[in-house]
Amino acid sequence: MVKVNKKGKKGEFKETTPLDVVYFILPFISLGLVVFLWYSVSTNKPDMFPSMTATWARLVKLFKQPIMRVPYYGHILASLKRVVMALAAAIVIGVPFGTMLGWNRKLDCFFGSIFNIIRPIPPLAWIPLIIIAFGIGEFPKVLIVFIGAVMPIVINTRAGLRSVDQLYLDVGTLFDANRRQILMEVAIPSAMPAIIAGIKTATSTGWMVVLAAEMLSAKSGVGFLVTRGMDANDMPLVLVAMITIGIVGALLGVLTSLIERLLCPWLQIK
Amino acid sequence: MSEEVNAAAARDERPVKVEVRHLTKYFDTLHVLDDVSFDIKKGEFVCVVGPTGCGKTTFLNLLTKIYEPSEGTLKIDGELADPKKHNLAFVFQEPSSFPWLTVEENLKFGLKVKKLPADVIEQRVERIIKLLGLEEFRNVYPASLSTSTEQRVIIGRAFAMEPDLLLMDEPYGQMDIKMRFYLEDEVLRLWREIGTTVVFITHNVEEAVYLSEKILILTNKPAKIKEELVNTLPYPRNIASKDFIDLRRHVTEQIKWW
Repeated sequence: MVKVNKKGKKGEFKETTPLDVVYFILPFISLGLVVFLWYSVSTNKPDMFPSMTATWARLVKLFKQPIMRVPYYGHILASLKRVVMALAAAIVIGVPFGTMLGWNRKLDCFFGSIFNIIRPIPPLAWIPLIIIAFGIGEFPKVLIVFIGAVMPIVINTRAGLRSVDQLYLDVGTLFDANRRQILMEVAIPSAMPAIIAGIKTATSTGWMVVLAAEMLSAKSGVGFLVTRGMDANDMPLVLVAMITIGIVGALLGVLTSLIERLLCPWLQIK
Repeated sequence: MSEEVNAAAARDERPVKVEVRHLTKYFDTLHVLDDVSFDIKKGEFVCVVGPTGCGKTTFLNLLTKIYEPSEGTLKIDGELADPKKHNLAFVFQEPSSFPWLTVEENLKFGLKVKKLPADVIEQRVERIIKLLGLEEFRNVYPASLSTSTEQRVIIGRAFAMEPDLLLMDEPYGQMDIKMRFYLEDEVLRLWREIGTTVVFITHNVEEAVYLSEKILILTNKPAKIKEELVNTLPYPRNIASKDFIDLRRHVTEQIKWW
């Protein structure tokens, strides 16, 4: 229907349909259901599952009373620091390595099979060897996260470089670009979306691995809070830590999407 | 016809830019090109037509040196063609702009690869943007352009190189008729402004007659030159005029292989 908008222009305008309202409400309904489930389970089986009030109270207490002399946000920062350090190392090493494998057939043949065997080993399986070699300080934790984060980056970078459209490479050749120029100006930009996707996977993997690593031997970090709660039979603390993990993880996802938008602006066009 | 060719060629005093002699190509035992010889004058617009599958693209790939000829020579300015020395540009049939670069960055690509001075790059790209009227798309990524606008960018990218020889392989093959007419005028304008030597492959006879100063008509495989036709119709051409229709009919007759 032809209408007039606020600026006095005639046209057909998009209106809010009932379906739009449904799309808007659905996430809240699911969240409400989780809360309801939590409420009903914790009311019926108070020994099995901490109540919402207890969890909230634990969170408030956590703000007032540090654990191992580290405040609540300090634990979050400790975990984030380990992930960021490992991720930075994984990008600096993983992207060039993946590029080498994807670009050079000989190197791919040389490293490919070793990489394929190492890849499926879960990062946590390295813990015993790493503890023997490096003890239980900060470095071994970062190293474990690094192992988890570097794999998706290498795999995605390699795949991205192998699937560069031949047409783009031909254009590079016809403009008389040398092989290095074709790699830097054509192949890597073309593989950029795949590389970023690898970094996104690496971030979420890294966040999972750091928590697991902290549950084994740490004096700080959100994973440490989970173990601490378990050891002290303090289930509200475990729940606070779990919810923290979920929220921080989701925020990391948003952050990496923003970085993707920044680095690959052409992907936003639909 | 050959007398007419000679007469027209004699009148054309431009120096020879490209000299092709006895060009022959086999793929294994498949004979694709057979002893093809012709000259292209500096700044000339040459169209190549021929029956489907006659080896037009092979012909072009020999000119770009993607393939080496089995026999024969290709000289540019009297020297054997060498992509390192000579400036060749190519427009593919399918849109080949880089999705990760804006229109302006796409236009700059080849010039940057050549490591030309920044002010030369700036100047040439500005000229192309102006000639093609791409100002409003300067900072836009190709994904948000229509196919025809994208193809204009690619044609601009090739002309920006100011190549010794610009090869176009059915660049308008996937366009509708309206867009074709528009882009044909566009390419003529760029060609006239920049003075590039153009070899334009097409399967559309009308397009060849509309654009070219010279038409090379190829035979069926193994392709030979059936006729080298000088097209002296004055620009801008009227596709409804009698001369135009006669010429078009003649070329169509010549490429019939049945």
